[in-house]
Amino acid sequence: MRQHFMSIADASAIIEEGRTLILAGDESALRQMPQGDWIGGTIPYFITDEHGGVSTREKVFVTDLTGVVTGAKIAFYDQSNLSRVYAEGPQHGFSFIIIPASNMTHLFFALKAPSFKEFGVRPLIGWIAGVHLDDLGKKTPKVFNGQTGEAFEEGALVLQAELPANKVAEIGIMNLFEQGDGDTLVFPADGFVVKSVLVNGEKMNLAAYLLDKKLDTRLPLVADYSGARVNISFQAINEADGTVQFYAPVFSGVRYKHAKPVGDYIQGFEQRLKKECSLEADRVVFSCNCILNYLYSELEGKKTDPFTGPMTFGEIAYQLLNQTLVYLQVHEV
Amino acid sequence: MNLPEKTHQGWHDLVTGRKVSALKSLAVRMLLGRLTLSVQEDSSPENIAASIDQLYEVFAKNAHTPSIQEDLKTIFG
Repeated sequence: MRQHFMSIADASAIIEEGRTLILAGDESALRQMPQGDWIGGTIPYFITDEHGGVSTREKVFVTDLTGVVTGAKIAFYDQSNLSRVYAEGPQHGFSFIIIPASNMTHLFFALKAPSFKEFGVRPLIGWIAGVHLDDLGKKTPKVFNGQTGEAFEEGALVLQAELPANKVAEIGIMNLFEQGDGDTLVFPADGFVVKSVLVNGEKMNLAAYLLDKKLDTRLPLVADYSGARVNISFQAINEADGTVQFYAPVFSGVRYKHAKPVGDYIQGFEQRLKKECSLEADRVVFSCNCILNYLYSELEGKKTDPFTGPMTFGEIAYQLLNQTLVYLQVHEV
Repeated sequence: MNLPEKTHQGWHDLVTGRKVSALKSLAVRMLLGRLTLSVQEDSSPENIAASIDQLYEVFAKNAHTPSIQEDLKTIFG
């Protein structure tokens, strides 16, 4: 693993050594970092190898790409050029993206990324920056360009990392949620906010349906993309106007089902790890998991070995995901 | 394993959903999930060809990735 939970002083020291880094931390911590070859995003929740789940503003999570990559460039994207994010990725390597939550670029990426040119052709991994839950509505999520010292609320930063010829990058996910045995939901349009839905082909109001069925909205909707399970997490039900808000958009035509309950997250995690992941810890360069898993599964103080990393407001493995662990492996070939 | 030509029936079967395989590559699964939906909505030869082009590109540009190699064997034997 190349991820380390560090004091601000220790992280500053390795930045000054000229290492190529990705940082995650509270805004107050990231603002103290010296300029260097790094990008960062705001989030104060982490899974660490020593303490398990932790929330702190005093330390940062560092992903050290030095020695893994042969070169890295930092690029800024917003709605005007984000559609080129896959096509402009390194010919041999991967792109690492951080987007502040709820900005226009986040919404645009969430809705449109799968239709961007060369989607899936080059690896794109990353996460959505957030804030401490006590700061919701008071502070805004941000991304930092370590080379220039700039912080952005709007747009996205991408670290375009080149790999040596004998190495390849591969993105994986671990999703504990599976489709349940209940109704099939199909939406008439793409979007984060939804009113109507086809339930087994019958048009209904989604909010009324959820309330009538008393569905647990801590469990996501799950779509099956040729065997890859993709979650859409519920944010809120607004009874007054009959709308339901999600943390990622639903897409028209895709068949969703409400997830089966997950009993004990850690137990389920370990079973899934054995069943689905044949990985060696030293090949894992980066991983992150979802703040909703941290909250709903009470991961504070709990470990998810061999995965550590920030607990984010959204995970990116080619496209935006929810309630999913994503990871990047670098293989020798 | 070498990449079969785009004219190979295996590509057509994949994007039309005629053949469902347990695949490893996340990029392939994510893209294929969308392509099969698109082809269900528009099964014109042009859309099928465009879908095969997109899928082929993922395999071609990631030919050395372990999961892609496994998927090639799964799909084309």
